Amino acid sequence: MASCCSLKVLTLFSLFIVPGAVESNNIEAKAGQFFSSGHTNNWAVLVCTSRFWFNYRHVANTLSVYRSVKRLGIPDSHIVLMLADDMACNHRNPKPATVFSHKNMELNVYGDDVEVDYRGYEVTVENFLRVLTGRLPPSTPRSKRLLSDDHSNILIYLTGHGGNGFLKFQDSEEISNVELADAFEQMWTKRRYNELLFIIDTCQGASMYERFYSPNLMALASSQVGEDSLSHQPDLAIGVHLMDRYTFYLLEFLEDIHPASTANMNDLFKVCPKSQCVSTPGHRTDLFLRDPGNVLITDFFGSVRKVEITMETINLTAPMVHLAVERPVSELKTESQSYVDQLPVAEIIHQKPKQRDWHPPDGFILGLWTLILLVFFKTYGAKHLKHIF
Amino acid sequence: MAAPLTLLLIVAVTIRAVLFRSSLAELIPERVEVVSPLNAWKRVVEGLALLDLGVSPYAGDVFHETPLIIYFFHFVSDYAEIVFMVMTRLVGCVFLLQFRKQKYALEAERYPLDCLELIRTPKEMYYIPLKVAMFYLLNPFTILSCVAKSTCGLNNAVIALFILCTVKGSSLMSAIFLALATYQSIYPLTLFAPALLYLLQRLYIPVNWQRSSFWLFTTQYTFMYLGSLCVMVCLSFFLLSSWDFLSSVYGFILSVPDLTPNIGLFWYFFAEMFEHFRLFFICVFQINVFFYTIPLSIKLKEHPIFLIFMQIAIISIFKSYPTVGDIALYMAFLPAWNHLYRFLRNIFLVSVVLLACSTLFPVLWHLWIYAGSANSNFYYAITLLFNVAQILLVSDYFYAYLRREHHLTHGLYLKRKDGSEATLVLK
Repeated sequence: MASCCSLKVLTLFSLFIVPGAVESNNIEAKAGQFFSSGHTNNWAVLVCTSRFWFNYRHVANTLSVYRSVKRLGIPDSHIVLMLADDMACNHRNPKPATVFSHKNMELNVYGDDVEVDYRGYEVTVENFLRVLTGRLPPSTPRSKRLLSDDHSNILIYLTGHGGNGFLKFQDSEEISNVELADAFEQMWTKRRYNELLFIIDTCQGASMYERFYSPNLMALASSQVGEDSLSHQPDLAIGVHLMDRYTFYLLEFLEDIHPASTANMNDLFKVCPKSQCVSTPGHRTDLFLRDPGNVLITDFFGSVRKVEITMETINLTAPMVHLAVERPVSELKTESQSYVDQLPVAEIIHQKPKQRDWHPPDGFILGLWTLILLVFFKTYGAKHLKHIF
Repeated sequence: MAAPLTLLLIVAVTIRAVLFRSSLAELIPERVEVVSPLNAWKRVVEGLALLDLGVSPYAGDVFHETPLIIYFFHFVSDYAEIVFMVMTRLVGCVFLLQFRKQKYALEAERYPLDCLELIRTPKEMYYIPLKVAMFYLLNPFTILSCVAKSTCGLNNAVIALFILCTVKGSSLMSAIFLALATYQSIYPLTLFAPALLYLLQRLYIPVNWQRSSFWLFTTQYTFMYLGSLCVMVCLSFFLLSSWDFLSSVYGFILSVPDLTPNIGLFWYFFAEMFEHFRLFFICVFQINVFFYTIPLSIKLKEHPIFLIFMQIAIISIFKSYPTVGDIALYMAFLPAWNHLYRFLRNIFLVSVVLLACSTLFPVLWHLWIYAGSANSNFYYAITLLFNVAQILLVSDYFYAYLRREHHLTHGLYLKRKDGSEATLVLK
């Protein structure tokens, strides 16, 4: 980290040393650029949606991405980590307080600095959507909120069991791709993100980003519709599969990334080709305004602050003009409003019984009573006729 | 007879009137044990309201009554309570009238002397009709059914009138009422056999396949029955000018689409049935109702009144939407056979189980639906137990009846060939 900073400072000083008037223009341009584009902060929402011991790999997936993201600079206060089950302290874990992502226990992605924000049964579709849209009750602590603004780049990573168009939460409910797309649209309307990278590692994961329609979304999935994402390797000592293939190779890729690396999204799209993951990873960039080749990995996975150190004073022309919006001050006279009388009780109480609108057809009545009379006279004999007539 | 009857009627009417005016009158029509989708009053009102709005009452799965019921209730729906009370009193009186005609004298000469105690004396039999009427009118099941304004009371009235006409011997009226009962719900079709047997017996026509008089009467009766059934169906067509009542009424009874829990056996089974097997099991269950007619008729061909009782019991146990009103109908017959008391073996068990189940029905319903701590298995268990108790009751009476007949022909104290005492064992 320190070497990169010093490198940057050195570059800047070198810029000063060389031509004179050009630098001030350069700095001005850089400063202008500084404000006009890009993001200023990074957030990550990492969600593991499945519980039970045999879904160990989903927790390991999420924790690997958490580890990478934290290593690349995003602080815990900007990470919302949702784990649906506790594998480290699961009583079936032969190595308690550890979650391994490589077999032979090479890499423990759990440690004593993992801050899980939503744990166990708190990981529900409702909570996830509330975190994304920000509609949380006032009592929710800051660590459980996604306090992003319109200059935030957000990384959203989901893993678990899914199908065509849905992702299963906790083995009891589902989130559909439409819901997710609508949540992202809400985020866009509320200006809760600048750019958003969505990664999903489930079976048929590509179906989850099919329905996105908001701008500045880039999505990656571990498998296409109709394909299953497969797990990587079981560990015989722990007894379960430790990681899914896509996230395993993603983790390997991310291990080579450092905060100053210039790897871009096109490299990310090449992670885990079909020969390594048996499924075909997919990605979607049509909603993204920048060219993926210009998007750095660290734009999403790391929290790289643009720090420019200069000894010059820069006059910033005010880019924004505050418009004095004058609200027309006019008093609208509001009429006193009352509810329409929907149930005229007074009328109903004194209502006469309603007139029946339906009457049986005359032919029916005639036929019925003729038959009844016939039967009556047949049974009791015609002698009664004379009593009637 | 008139004074006790009047007293009984007054008591019955008072109880019902009191319940109608109390708060239970809103509670009882909602109970699933008392009303079923076929005979709920709520649905009748709904159907009539739909008719007033110009829509066929059979549109939508609400109304499952026959068109003649529409006609009947069209005029009297405001006075429904009175109608139902009248209906139940009618049934009571009808039972009264028919049981005066119990035959016993015909049997008297044939029996060995030590069976005198088995034969009922006229003195005992004098009060049987009153007891039957009492059993029907004061039965809590009937009272519940009447307060719920379930049209089951109407069905019971028609069946009772049918039995009255059969016992009186008028084959035309009996055929007409049987047709009406079958038209209401299909199951009284099984009562055709006992009615035929009784009328043949009354006319002294022996049930012999070769004799032409037997066939003559049978065809006569069949034609009367089928003719009146056709007339009723056609008349119903003319009421609403459409045939959709057929699928709404008979299709509904036979194919059991509504699986609301009731005291019958169908709902639980078909709630968990795979679609693939549904038709097969519907057929099995429905055939089960009609299946016992032929064997029972063969066995009880000399005792058609008892056969009627057995048939009604079997219908009310195995029909697709039974309610407690159906049960009240055959339980009313029980005093007619209190001479069988000495041969009944399970009467204590049956009565206790029936009582316990009747009290547990609302309890388990509450636990299942409202408290959420039980589930449908609990309610179905009680349903099963209730039906098992009923079946036990019916089979017990059957056994007792047959045993009495055996004793009447072979003497009360059975002896083996060497003179030692023998006992009768049911194999």
